[in-house]
Amino acid sequence: MDENLVLHPRNVRFDWASVPLHWVPGEPLTSHTINTLHIVLPEGERWFVEVFREALPLITDDELREQVTGFIGQEAMHAEAHQGAADHLAAQGLDPTPFVAQIEWLFRKLLGDRDLTGAAKHQWLLERLSVIAAIEHFTAVLGQWILNSAPLDKAGADPTMLDLLRWHGAEEVEHRAVAFDLYMHLDGRYLRRIRTMIVVAPVLGWLFVRSARWLMANDPLKPGRARWRDYFRAARIGLLPRLSELLPAIWRYLPRGYHPRDEGSTDQAVAYLAQSPAAKAAS
Amino acid sequence: MQPPPDLYGRPRADRLFSALAPVVAGYQRLSERSARRQPDVRPVDRDLTLVVRSVVAEADGVVSLWLTDPTGNLLPRWRPGSHLDVTLPSGTRRQYSLCGDPADPTVYRIAVRLVGAGSAEMHAVAEGSTLTVRGPRNAFPFVDRGPYLFVAGGIGITPILPMVRMCARRGVDWRLVYTGRTLESMPFLDELSALPTTDRVRVVPDDGVPDIAELLADAPSGASLYCCGPTSMIDAVRREWTGPLHFERFSPPPVVGGKPFELQLGAEGPVVPVAADESALEALRRVRPGAAYSCRQGFCGTCRVRVIDGEVEHHGGAVADGSMLVCVSRAAGDRLVLDV
Repeated sequence: MDENLVLHPRNVRFDWASVPLHWVPGEPLTSHTINTLHIVLPEGERWFVEVFREALPLITDDELREQVTGFIGQEAMHAEAHQGAADHLAAQGLDPTPFVAQIEWLFRKLLGDRDLTGAAKHQWLLERLSVIAAIEHFTAVLGQWILNSAPLDKAGADPTMLDLLRWHGAEEVEHRAVAFDLYMHLDGRYLRRIRTMIVVAPVLGWLFVRSARWLMANDPLKPGRARWRDYFRAARIGLLPRLSELLPAIWRYLPRGYHPRDEGSTDQAVAYLAQSPAAKAAS
Repeated sequence: MQPPPDLYGRPRADRLFSALAPVVAGYQRLSERSARRQPDVRPVDRDLTLVVRSVVAEADGVVSLWLTDPTGNLLPRWRPGSHLDVTLPSGTRRQYSLCGDPADPTVYRIAVRLVGAGSAEMHAVAEGSTLTVRGPRNAFPFVDRGPYLFVAGGIGITPILPMVRMCARRGVDWRLVYTGRTLESMPFLDELSALPTTDRVRVVPDDGVPDIAELLADAPSGASLYCCGPTSMIDAVRREWTGPLHFERFSPPPVVGGKPFELQLGAEGPVVPVAADESALEALRRVRPGAAYSCRQGFCGTCRVRVIDGEVEHHGGAVADGSMLVCVSRAAGDRLVLDV
């Protein structure tokens, strides 16, 4: 935590009423690939909060505990904000319930506490903290990407949706070191860090593909099937992250000397939060 | 573990998730093996014990304290906007912005205005005594993206001063509006007038409420505004200013008009008194330091707990029936029994 930034949740609100289903005009695949966040993150971030809640009493570093406390509140607000966007999908005739039911099962059952006790319970907690550290590596990468994503503005993307994504992205960049520092504090073993990344990276990719396909297939505006060709075109013009930006991020996580401070720019995140309409209006 | 139904409505369990279930179960059993050679969690002590090198009167009711490491070690680096957490002799903790030179790692300077019991303790600190501090940490980060307008009210000049100095050194476009009740009560006027470009500083001694719109009028075009001062000033600036805005969010407002009550932690658990001027969360954390919370203002929902017995006086956001946000809600009666 070289920046020593104090983290705090922001009480943001978004008015979804005027946000269209294809919020990047004429780009259903781009809209739905990013809409994945609304249907995966509310459950995912609530799971983060549950796991971190379990870890809190084990922390023996007051400063780290304060960071984790700020992190939990930020994640809770992210979950609520994306839930609002997911509800808006439903209001527009794209009810995400079947997909969300699977994500619920993924986080609550498969990655839940599994009714373990003793050493097995403790090891499962550490394993999941390592999973969260790996996921947070990607959220920092994606957060930085969305802060830099001028092509979305140029394509006429809805300003409310962009503000949600960039507020969220900026807070991900702000708190990018917390999950990693927590894992290093409570365990820190290299083998565990690497093996969870090997699982997390493909599963995250798979979730985005699966959800973009499903949203396209169930879109009441019938935009047609999700096609890789459309992804590559969108990525080429900067509407979605390119694979050549995402895949190298995996390698950057592998060296023993990795630390999230080297990913993303805190200054850029702070500068965005100073001008974000939602963050400025937050109490 | 029954996998979820198929995503496209086919009458079977989802194949991919069905395949994932035994993989994760195997992975979990593998993770148990890591219990061997489990590294210890080391307690981390971040307290610094510093010696008060000098105490300087800066204005009416304002002193500055210069703190150094007694063994001559260099102090942790900091950026403008950072503060120290100072543990007072009575054990209370207070935060003070660093107002010295970030480029000098041998000394920290903080300034304290005499208001209330905490600052009286700080004013009683003598040269040569030691203070326990933690930090520096930054809740008011200064970003290299000018031009700038700084607005400081009274002792709120402390975090702004290093920012202004950095601007003066870098030659970027900036203005400072500095308000206070009287010139005599405003610290660091001499240091501001020693800056190479004094025409950028506007000092406004004003006993009444300053006209914020007028103070913001001479901002450089496209400026980012950094504001530190009383809450009323920050609120007014937030209403008037449409550009990028940075201000320090202080801890939640104190509990006003609360009644004392008791918390019982679990049906058979210990009973903790909650004083009139503290939140249920503060009382809970005395006994359960690992209790989860975050915003302390009743919106993030992290501290929500189930209430076993007793009537709740709800504050903050909506919660499910039978639960409460301990950071802001209180007892309507004498006691609440919590499921913690």
